[in-house]
Amino acid sequence: MQLTATPEARTFARIAEVWLPEGETLVHGGGAYGNASEFAEISGKTSFAKGEGLPGKAWAEARPVVLKEFDGSYFQRTEAALEAGLTCAVAVPVFAGKTLKAVLVILCGDDAEHHGAIEVWEDQGNKLHLSDGYYGTAQKFEEISQDVSFSYGQGLPGGVWAANTPILMRDLSRVGAFLRAEAAGEIGLKHGLGVPVPVPGDKTFVLTLLSSAGTPIARRFEIWDARPEVVGATKKALRIDGFCEIEGPLWPKENPPVDAETVGAWQGPVGQVVGSGLPQVHTGATGLPAGYTLMVALPVYQHGELAHVVAWYL
Amino acid sequence: MSWTDIGALNDIPLRGARIVKTVAGCIAVFRTAEEEVFATSNTCAHKGGPLAEGIVHGKSVTCPLHNWVYSLETGEAQGADEGQIATYPIRIEDGRLLLDVSTVAARSAA
Amino acid sequence: MQKLVVIGAGMASGRVLEHLFDAAPDAFEVTLFNAEPRGNYNRIMLSPVLSGEKTFEEIVTHDDAWYAANKVTTRFGEKVTGIDRERKVVIGENGEVPYDKLVIGTGSAPFIIPMPGHDLPGVVAYRDLEDTNAMIEASATPGGHAVVIGGGLLGLEAAAGLRLRGMEVTVLHIMGHLMERQLDEAAGYLLKKDLEKRGINVLLKAQTKCIEGDGKVERVLLEDGTVLKADIVCMAVGIRPAVALGQAAGLDMGRAIKVDAQMRTSDPDILAVGECVEFNGNLFGLVAPLYDQAKVLAKTLLGEDDVFKMRELSTKLKVTGCDLFSAGDFAEGEGREDIVFRDPKRGVYKRLVIEDDKLIGAVMYGDTADSNWFFGLIKDGTDIEEMRETLIFGPAFQGGGAAAADPLAAVAALPADAEICGCNGVCKGTIVSAIEGGAHTLDDVKALTKASASCGTCTGLVEQVLAVTLGDSFEAKAEKPVCKCTDLTHEDVRRLIKARELKSQPAVWQELGWKTVNGCHVCRPAINYYLLADWPLEYQDDLQSRFVNERNHANIQKDGTYSVMPRMWGGMTTPEELIAIAEAAKKYDAAVKVTGGQRIDLLGIKKEDLPAIWSDLNDAGMVSGHAYTKGLRTVKTCVGTDWCRFGTQDSTGLGIKLEKRLWGSWTPHKVKLAVSGCPRNCAEATCKDIGVICVDSGYQIGVAGAAGMDVKETERLIDVATEEEVLEWTVAFMQLYRENGKYLDRAYKWVAKVGLGWVQEHLSDPANRAALVERFDISQSVYQKDPWADHVANNMAQYTPLADLSQEAAE
Repeated sequence: MQLTATPEARTFARIAEVWLPEGETLVHGGGAYGNASEFAEISGKTSFAKGEGLPGKAWAEARPVVLKEFDGSYFQRTEAALEAGLTCAVAVPVFAGKTLKAVLVILCGDDAEHHGAIEVWEDQGNKLHLSDGYYGTAQKFEEISQDVSFSYGQGLPGGVWAANTPILMRDLSRVGAFLRAEAAGEIGLKHGLGVPVPVPGDKTFVLTLLSSAGTPIARRFEIWDARPEVVGATKKALRIDGFCEIEGPLWPKENPPVDAETVGAWQGPVGQVVGSGLPQVHTGATGLPAGYTLMVALPVYQHGELAHVVAWYL
Repeated sequence: MSWTDIGALNDIPLRGARIVKTVAGCIAVFRTAEEEVFATSNTCAHKGGPLAEGIVHGKSVTCPLHNWVYSLETGEAQGADEGQIATYPIRIEDGRLLLDVSTVAARSAA
Repeated sequence: MQKLVVIGAGMASGRVLEHLFDAAPDAFEVTLFNAEPRGNYNRIMLSPVLSGEKTFEEIVTHDDAWYAANKVTTRFGEKVTGIDRERKVVIGENGEVPYDKLVIGTGSAPFIIPMPGHDLPGVVAYRDLEDTNAMIEASATPGGHAVVIGGGLLGLEAAAGLRLRGMEVTVLHIMGHLMERQLDEAAGYLLKKDLEKRGINVLLKAQTKCIEGDGKVERVLLEDGTVLKADIVCMAVGIRPAVALGQAAGLDMGRAIKVDAQMRTSDPDILAVGECVEFNGNLFGLVAPLYDQAKVLAKTLLGEDDVFKMRELSTKLKVTGCDLFSAGDFAEGEGREDIVFRDPKRGVYKRLVIEDDKLIGAVMYGDTADSNWFFGLIKDGTDIEEMRETLIFGPAFQGGGAAAADPLAAVAALPADAEICGCNGVCKGTIVSAIEGGAHTLDDVKALTKASASCGTCTGLVEQVLAVTLGDSFEAKAEKPVCKCTDLTHEDVRRLIKARELKSQPAVWQELGWKTVNGCHVCRPAINYYLLADWPLEYQDDLQSRFVNERNHANIQKDGTYSVMPRMWGGMTTPEELIAIAEAAKKYDAAVKVTGGQRIDLLGIKKEDLPAIWSDLNDAGMVSGHAYTKGLRTVKTCVGTDWCRFGTQDSTGLGIKLEKRLWGSWTPHKVKLAVSGCPRNCAEATCKDIGVICVDSGYQIGVAGAAGMDVKETERLIDVATEEEVLEWTVAFMQLYRENGKYLDRAYKWVAKVGLGWVQEHLSDPANRAALVERFDISQSVYQKDPWADHVANNMAQYTPLADLSQEAAE
């Protein structure tokens, strides 16, 4: 049922898939399904019209969508999903200006031992409020989160919103480090990856992935900067932050960061994202850092141009 | 060189000027940026307007009488006007202004 | 093995050890002292630790295992109390250690301003992990307040970190813009805007008076009376080399421990590295040269030759999402040229400084892609003459087609909700929708949206929106721009200042894509006027953007002397005032002239006498007559019912009331009024900017007259019955002119442009009229003050020479 090759590792998210627009429909653009082969097979044959199913809804409504009940919902692959033990899905639309580039869908399964969270924060004028979120079994943390709001610049969602750039926070449980620190500590939340999700009409949502030590969303996170105003006219990306359980810190040590890891367009899995501007779900050890067999990478756009790439690995 | 302390940098407003009286006439000291000053003759080559009273923009000043514009770096009149004013070495050290008075004497003698 | 003792486990000495162990692992037996209870970590990365974007563990450079592997004896948390050069021992708190060679790397200590309250608990510097942890602890309080004193690199990184941790943060900076050592005003403006977007409050020119609190810090007081709540105060105002040990040991000192190019101090067995050294008069704060020093020092220890050289430095601020770069030299020098590029839409500002066909300095904000290339040009002293025209567009453009700044950038950058047409409240988004819906001409847009259908001053902007939306297929009429600094017209600039809420000169320059660093003598006075007229409370009048007469509050004459004219309310004076004027005229050797505006002019006053004559006239109860301003000049009156057998109303009294209400206000051009007591019009009210004729039934208000290069009779604005109504309509008209007129357009020119009907329509709505009067009064609360008294009290320096060297003997 797990995504990773190491059977003992338990993870929060189980499936990641990419949907690509083809005219007025979304077609399957690959994914990692672990052992959920039936669900994988059905997915490969499915396509969605705009507004149809979960990916189609994210496109039509131009916002990230969290779905926590498949039964009786607009979700079209309910039977196979339930059979695979999946209980929740998050669809993240990737827009370049007004154009939809792709929809990334992450599916999770529930059980008592899975801790973590995937949240969507919405800008409501002067503050960010929780628009929706999936918390697995972390009920207390979910309740607190529903009552919290963030001013611009404050906390992970506010910081991401104000800087308009992905941010990777460490030590979420450390006092004051994170506005919901105490509750985060209780369920072992460790890393938080916040990503701006721009949609047509100047609005920006913030997606946060909160990962616990026991059932991580990923064991390696990376943020790449691909903005032309940083890297220049030739498409490439600099790794500006990252953390890996195996290699440790993944950020440049020099100031100015002349030693930042650089990847060119189409060069390796992250380079694919830089080149294509599309999300990638990469399976198999080839091309990935040692110890990893899965990479999910999400492009982040700004003013209609590729600005950043966030990638997480298992 | 004979550097003489003529006052503090902050005695001159940003994009403003003050004058220094010398035996050779008035020198205008301009502050064009937080840490940038120039010294020139205070007298416009056209009709003798007091340049320290002009509007300072970029590294130039516009004479208050008839809008002649001078480069503060070279002392040359800009645009269609032809004229030249003297410039003097000046530097900032620890927030103080140091003017090379030897050049003032030399130029007045010349 | 030689005994090497190192004092200070910082980044520089850490790099020394790395080089040493790399090159000759067994050459030295090393003892390492550190006052901090830990080894070497990447101190410059404390900021992301503070913000939560890194853990301390991630920034440790040398851990216990590394020290063990290299057999370093560590004495962490132990202070060194002295160096005995005779016996060649270092004296630690826990005992002595002998050395053959000693390396001092004690770094620097933060400078704490010794203001009252600086020693309260809760006041921290920003230097080490303890400071960082203290700030992290403080941020645990929900809704906690932090005050950061110092708007340099460290202060701003602290502010951003504390904000990300959820605190309410205020930055106090004593200078006029942030990071003034690295940035110019325009880049400083963009940085401030970026920080404000993060919810950080930035106060410039902020003079901190003291820190207060009962047992711990509670608030910070500023000189201007502002009180800021504070649970923690971070003082990041600078560093000083930590040199007490070196000094006590009797080493040669400058501002720090003097070293030669081999990093040796005056004692050949003692070397020093890092922020505690002085080399050729230079101190060090950035890390790059310290690494160079470390390399040289290691070689010196190993008996190899190497020389430390100064090199060009560049800076990066570690606040996630703030991209800035600065390098090289902006200081004074002859023959320098600026190249400026701004992109308001992307928040980009670039400035290059060129001297002798070489790039010597660069500042960039928002787009730093080419910074390495520019930095290379600076370091290598490359001749750039061939590429000067396209240099600012970076390496990609060299050899290719020349790019040009986009004249439509300011309008393209406007958000959809920016109001283009003030009369009819039409936003850019509405106009764009209309254009996308098929309105492809100005008339179509006008018909569909009403934009530019009233006073018409926004026509240029509507055309630019058409051009931006339709691309090349629409050609906007080229109107005359303000000056060579911009492609926008006065009307465009006025409208955009309101729509974008631009409240400072750097904001105008940046957001409207100015092509020069800070404008010119043509645009600056106009921009200064527009800003002070639109934002009287927020914007501070800039004397340096005013023509000499308004700056010195007197009219400059052709020989460089000035004229001085006191106000005579409604043309009335008294024997006492006349005596004071006469005495002043004698004392300052003035020529005396009676003016057409019913007052007395004193001519030929020397600049340095101005404050004295003002003071004398002030003492006799008189104030400035503003005879030199683009503002209210005089209110001319006839004697009215008090004396005249034809008078219908108290024209003198009304004139005085008008003058007392309006004086001190700034307007696009000068404004002259008159009140005549009957239609015989002895006060010549029918050729004034505003003229009132008294009749039996009340008052006829005329506007837009002229008697200069053009002669024009006033047009009737309205007839009213009472003096109160005259005041209300007059004030409202003034304010409408103040808010909408083009700089240097007299009222008659402005009315000709917008139409009297438009003016009447605006003023006839009582609510609108009341709002205009209210805004006028708000402005008067700031600007209705006697500039003479103000300058005598606060601005004397402006009138005196900076120095008088005329008495000194020439060489």
